[in-house]
Amino acid sequence: MTNHWRDIRHADLMLINGANPAEAHPVGFQWMMRAKIERGGKMIHTDPRFTRTSAVSDKHLRIRTGTDVAYFGGLINYVLQNNLEHKEYVRFATNASFVIKESYNFTDGMFNGFDEAKKVYDTTAWAYEIGPDGFAVQDIDHPRSVLNLMRAHYSRYTPEMVERITGIQRADFLEVAKLVGEMGRPDKVMTIIYAVGLTHHTTGVQLIRSGALLQLLLGNMGRPGGGMNAERGHANIQGNTDHAISWDILPGYLRIPAPGQKNIDDYIARSAAKKLHANSLNFFGANYRKFLVSLLKSWYGDAATAANDFAFAHLPKPASDASWLSIFDAALRGKMEGLMLSGMTATSIGPDSNQVLQALSNLKWLCVMDAYSTTSSEFWREPSIDPSKVQTEVILLPATHWIEKDGSFTNSGRWAQWKEAVLPPEGEARHDHWILAEVFDRVRALYKEQGGKYPEPVLQLVMPYKDVRRPELDEIAKEINGKDLITGQRLTGFALLKDDGTTTAGDWIYTGHYPESGNLTKRRDGIQDPAKNDPTGMGYYPNWAWSWPANRRVLYNRASADSLGRPWDPKRVGIQWDAVTGRWTGDVPDYPATADPAKPDSPLPFIMTGEGTGRLFSNGVADGPFPEHYEPIESPIDNPLHPKVSATPVAFKYDERAGRPNRFGTSADYPYVATSYRLTEHEHYVTQHVDQLVALQPEAFVEVPAELAKEKGIATGDRVRVSSKRGKLEVRAVVTARLGPLTIDGKKVYQIGIPIHWGFVGINTSQHWLANALTPFVGDASSRTPEFKAFLVNIEKM
Amino acid sequence: MMLLDDAQHFVRDPDWTWYILFYFFFAGLSGGSYAIACLLRLFGKSEDEPAARLATYVAFVALLPCPVLLTLDLGQPLRFWHMLVNTSPGAEGPIFKYWSPMSVGAWALVIFGGFVTASFFDAWTRDRDRRFPRLPRGFLGGLWSLLGLVFGLFIAGYTGVLLSVSNQPVWSDTWTLGGLFLASGLSGSAALLGWLVRFRKPAQATAGVFSMSERVFQLLELVLIVAFVVTLIPTGALSRTFGLPWTALWLVALVGLARGLTTRTTARVSAAGDGTVAVKAVHAAATASLIVLIGILALRAAIIFSAQ
Amino acid sequence: MAEITPGKAYGFFTDTSVCIGCKACEVACKSWNMLDGNPPVFGDGYDNTGSLDAQNWRHVQFLDNVADQAAGPGQGKAWLMMSDVCKHCTHASCLEVCPTGAIIRTEFDTVFIQPDVCNGCRDCISACPYGVIEMDKQKGVAQKCTLCYDRLQGGLEPACAKACPTQSIQFGPVIELRERAQKRLEVLHGQGVAEAQLYGHDEKVYGGLNAFFLLMDEPEKYNLPNEKNAVLPSRNNARGYLTLLATAVMAVLGGLIAIRRRREKTDDAAG
Ligand SMILES: Nc1nc2c(c(=O)[nH]1)N[C@H]1C(S)=C(S)[C@@H](COP(=O)(O)OP(=O)(O)OC[C@H]3O[C@@H](n4cnc5c(=O)[nH]c(N)nc54)[C@H](O)[C@@H]3O)O[C@H]1N2
Ligand SMILES: Nc1nc2c(c(=O)[nH]1)N[C@H]1C(S)=C(S)[C@@H](COP(=O)(O)OP(=O)(O)OC[C@H]3O[C@@H](n4cnc5c(=O)[nH]c(N)nc54)[C@H](O)[C@@H]3O)O[C@H]1N2
Ligand code: SF4
Ligand code: SF4
Ligand code: SF4
Ligand code: SF4
Ligand code: SF4
Ligand SMILES: [Mo]
Repeated sequence: MTNHWRDIRHADLMLINGANPAEAHPVGFQWMMRAKIERGGKMIHTDPRFTRTSAVSDKHLRIRTGTDVAYFGGLINYVLQNNLEHKEYVRFATNASFVIKESYNFTDGMFNGFDEAKKVYDTTAWAYEIGPDGFAVQDIDHPRSVLNLMRAHYSRYTPEMVERITGIQRADFLEVAKLVGEMGRPDKVMTIIYAVGLTHHTTGVQLIRSGALLQLLLGNMGRPGGGMNAERGHANIQGNTDHAISWDILPGYLRIPAPGQKNIDDYIARSAAKKLHANSLNFFGANYRKFLVSLLKSWYGDAATAANDFAFAHLPKPASDASWLSIFDAALRGKMEGLMLSGMTATSIGPDSNQVLQALSNLKWLCVMDAYSTTSSEFWREPSIDPSKVQTEVILLPATHWIEKDGSFTNSGRWAQWKEAVLPPEGEARHDHWILAEVFDRVRALYKEQGGKYPEPVLQLVMPYKDVRRPELDEIAKEINGKDLITGQRLTGFALLKDDGTTTAGDWIYTGHYPESGNLTKRRDGIQDPAKNDPTGMGYYPNWAWSWPANRRVLYNRASADSLGRPWDPKRVGIQWDAVTGRWTGDVPDYPATADPAKPDSPLPFIMTGEGTGRLFSNGVADGPFPEHYEPIESPIDNPLHPKVSATPVAFKYDERAGRPNRFGTSADYPYVATSYRLTEHEHYVTQHVDQLVALQPEAFVEVPAELAKEKGIATGDRVRVSSKRGKLEVRAVVTARLGPLTIDGKKVYQIGIPIHWGFVGINTSQHWLANALTPFVGDASSRTPEFKAFLVNIEKM
Repeated sequence: MMLLDDAQHFVRDPDWTWYILFYFFFAGLSGGSYAIACLLRLFGKSEDEPAARLATYVAFVALLPCPVLLTLDLGQPLRFWHMLVNTSPGAEGPIFKYWSPMSVGAWALVIFGGFVTASFFDAWTRDRDRRFPRLPRGFLGGLWSLLGLVFGLFIAGYTGVLLSVSNQPVWSDTWTLGGLFLASGLSGSAALLGWLVRFRKPAQATAGVFSMSERVFQLLELVLIVAFVVTLIPTGALSRTFGLPWTALWLVALVGLARGLTTRTTARVSAAGDGTVAVKAVHAAATASLIVLIGILALRAAIIFSAQ
Repeated sequence: MAEITPGKAYGFFTDTSVCIGCKACEVACKSWNMLDGNPPVFGDGYDNTGSLDAQNWRHVQFLDNVADQAAGPGQGKAWLMMSDVCKHCTHASCLEVCPTGAIIRTEFDTVFIQPDVCNGCRDCISACPYGVIEMDKQKGVAQKCTLCYDRLQGGLEPACAKACPTQSIQFGPVIELRERAQKRLEVLHGQGVAEAQLYGHDEKVYGGLNAFFLLMDEPEKYNLPNEKNAVLPSRNNARGYLTLLATAVMAVLGGLIAIRRRREKTDDAAG
């Protein structure tokens, strides 16, 4: 989230797209309800299904899954056509006036820079015109200014086109567009809330970016009650992400080095953003080296010296990505010997689970670290598998559940909050970090004993814990915070990090969360005393836990005030310039605290980007500088915008590349669109072990539109068979008008809803159907997130 | 007050089943028989005394299963006494709620039990020609019988009121159940007694009374069934009580009634006057009373089960 | 939460317009009260609990009125969700009939079944017009929401209200809750949600329900008797006994006639 949960109550309008917060984030949802109840904020829920969120929103729009770019694109077009954008903001805080190189081109669904052979775009082909001063040329009226290109790009997204693609009727679209259009006024603010209904698509990143563009145009980014707010998944998935759960980053969103990068200079040249405007602070780009060196010092200690480029050589420079899909693809190709799964049940969660089961069967060994047995630790019991044919050695290491650990959770709003262990560990269960530490220690012993290829990264790694095999999370938290190696004191913020090897930081964005004064994530100055604990009255509660970066509660908050530092809306102050004290007041400023905005050379508002502004046009993503609507890989229609390039040309098709048979179906055989999702009552698969929740939701089912059910003679409770090109489910039907038909490009399209929560392990073991038997093995070009949310199926009564 | 409004409720059924059904049945017979005994003593001739004793025995025997059934029906049988004694902290002591028929019934049953038991031993000792202990005769005896009559009638009928004082559909939709259960309890008792006189020669003098009263009571019962139906019409609960599968029970109940109302067998039993009874008639009387008894069981079953 | 003081009337204001059907209340209640729950059965996909009973002292009802249209308002009125519970009626039918005195009004003006007094006669079950109570077969006593009597005594708000993320369940002194409810109703009416109505907030239903509701449709839709139907079991006492008395009188008269006449009129008196 750019903002945070409590902040949502400041919104006048909430666009909830690709999220079902009432069911997946019921506790956080209270803040949306507060906006609605306390300030009369309007809530628009755009979802293929009428859900428990729709039930309490002001309007529900039924959308075809995978088409939100068209919806947001339509809104962008509406705003631009009607001149409703927040003009001052757009000029001040976005790259609207930057001029794009002449080579930029978009025709028939293709951007320039496409490499036919590799099927990827060369993203550097999407670049600014650089002036003689080495900075980007700016001229908002230039025909190739970002704003004008954007206007042209989205002019195709007329209400009619929106209706053809999404199924949202023109009148309903315009009703919402009118509301959205008002949010460009400085005294109004809108938030966009999303979750995996946007990410689980081959166009996931662009879906989100299209919302962000709209927010930038309306001047809602950086403002209280505004922003682009991702509701994260597991309790600590934000913390996971921050600490590099993704293959493409190091902790703190530093890029993973690429092959051929010989030294830090090479790496910085390729990874850090360049300053593109004279007044751009380019904070991230400018300090990239400090963050990396401090990380290397943290990992390799004394072995990291200026002389050896701080052991940069020890970092892996992977030639291929290690996304979830890529890992299992490697196993399918027989390129993987063993696999350790911790807190994740591959069998249930991955797309095309039949293929995943095959992948697991190909392994020599599989080690599962979990508090329970899972569909992975028992994958050979999947009913279609013949266990005698599975040679994989499976090891289940009992790990403690997070309820049995202390440590911090970082929530969607980036607040790191320390928690205590609720229960003592059971039996011989060990903490994950103990298991991993011991495995590492033993491997290190083997290296010591036997040597090996390039042992240094293993031998030199610093394990600064009292017991190397049993590190405390408190010790790890201190290590992550980092310290000054000269004074030995833990640092109070990342601004103090240096690139000369005198500081450490395990994750620079967390530097300052655990200074010498103590663990700030344990702070609990909250609503016991709002007057004292929330001095601004804006709900920042600065002494409640700690949020990254620098305990800032709203990212980009400099953009909540105009160029002179006056808040756009005096009633909802993010930060503002106090000329008397010469400081920014309010939230922790996302800006130099004493930079006088009246000075002509004062930094531009977005201090983290090279431009100094928010990006309406960006080359940071793999599939296009402007979000464009592409059809899901399996779709009932050809893309009405460019039928020849219907789906995104850069989605990575694993089966095709590996020479496996095609596993994508067509609407001729699989006429219905399906999407998969969560229900309040279960947490993925693990709650299949919780009797109270199994009682609330005992059996696998799919939701079937009433009209289609009538055609097929299906009633609620009947058993149905749902099949895709990849597999099938045989489960109960829930017939409902909440999922009705849509008219897409003149065609009647039905959507079928598939809750994900069942498998062959748990209390009700007869529920052996894996929803992911149906989903396609393909992911987003940038993030490789699988397309869980749009695929084709057939349904029949059993 | 003729017709009740349709009161729509969303009650859960109390799961009153076999124990309660048989309690209602036996309470009807016990109360009914005892009432008849008292009536005979109060208003009959001296030749009715053997029949009155017979009725007392029946009342006693029918009463025996009642507390057992009631206790077994409880979720906590050992706490049966909580019906009479409040064990709530701070409110210890006897508990009596006149507005709760179950509370009233519990006390009534205790008192009625006393009456029946005393009368039973009285009859027993007199039959055996033993001297002691005996209930008084004369005015006090009359008073005894009068009170016994009241309690007998109450026990036979309050179970219907108990059902009505609820929010169950059917039960609470009608005001007829108390009367209906009383009438059917009495007619069942009369039928049973009419048949049992066969085994007790001295009581046969009263056979005619039984047969007569049975018809009167059944007439009353019929009137109340009609009233029951009428009261249910506006509530829409009619189909619930009379629909399948309850129709079958009602048919049984009505056959019982019809049998009692249309046959003259009992008349024949008493026709001989001198005490010699035609064998054929006796058989007919036996089946007739059996059918009547099954009828009153079916009536109660239909009302108890269909509502739940 | 302000201090909970004995002597004051406490209850719930359940605002169904903001209920999201998450069932946190159901689970919180079961956890706190250590209820095992019933064996799992598939209901209709969303409501698999079915009804209030001995194991479910909270039950979230789902009423689907969603029109089969591509767009529509939610506002809590298209897919209705309502967390049902014992109403803690001022004139409580269950308390009225209970022969053992097991059901009492507590010092918090709530209706409580004392599990050590109840003997499982189930009269209360047939009386409660809301189908709240059921006998726990294992324990042999009638069970229902206690309004977390034990928690109130310890100064804690009820588990279900505490767990409710949207404040659909609001716990507090009934007087305050009524004011809040009135305000919320006005807001909703102001927003054009004409369906919104309060239920049980005044004496019209059982003298006032300590656990009252803001509904988005007619009470009957939620299995709640409307004002007209909110009647107590004891209403049938007088007429029931009167019929009994009348029948008794007729029966005695009939008996007298029989005793006088001693035999039926018969055609074949010769027999
Ligand atoms: N109860 C519960 N809560 C959870 C979880 C759980 O398992 N159970 N899991 C947690 C995790 S890990 C995560 S990631 C989050 C996920 O939280 P959410 O993203 O809210 O969860 P989903 O139900 O997967 O998807 C949200 C909605 O997206 C809709 N949708 C599907 N495709 C599209 C589309 O193309 N456009 C639009 N506009 N909508 C679409 C679906 O119909 C669904 O209603 O939830 C977290 N919270
Ligand atoms: N079709 C379809 N598929 C999906 C999705 C979808 O929407 N549709 N959603 C996807 C998303 S967003 C997610 S996040 C995944 C969720 O998938 P998972 O994360 O795999 O699911 P969970 O069941 O939440 O948790 C996995 C395991 O973690 C264990 N666990 C809990 N705490 C600990 C701990 O401290 N240590 C260890 N070692 N184990 C622990 C639990 O016992 C459980 O078995 O599913 C994905 N798959
Ligand atoms: S499960 Fe936990 S994290 Fe998820 S909504 Fe509930 S309280 Fe929040
Ligand atoms: S709702 Fe039912 S159980 Fe609760 S107090 Fe009222 S009558 Fe009694
Ligand atoms: S079951 Fe218990 S609480 Fe209910 S009426 Fe009987 S004794 Fe009272
Ligand atoms: S008040 Fe307590 S007992 Fe009653 S429903 Fe809520 S949690 Fe359950
Ligand atoms: S916890 Fe609250 S929102 Fe959730 S179902 Fe219960 S009443 Fe509704
Ligand atoms: Mo997730």
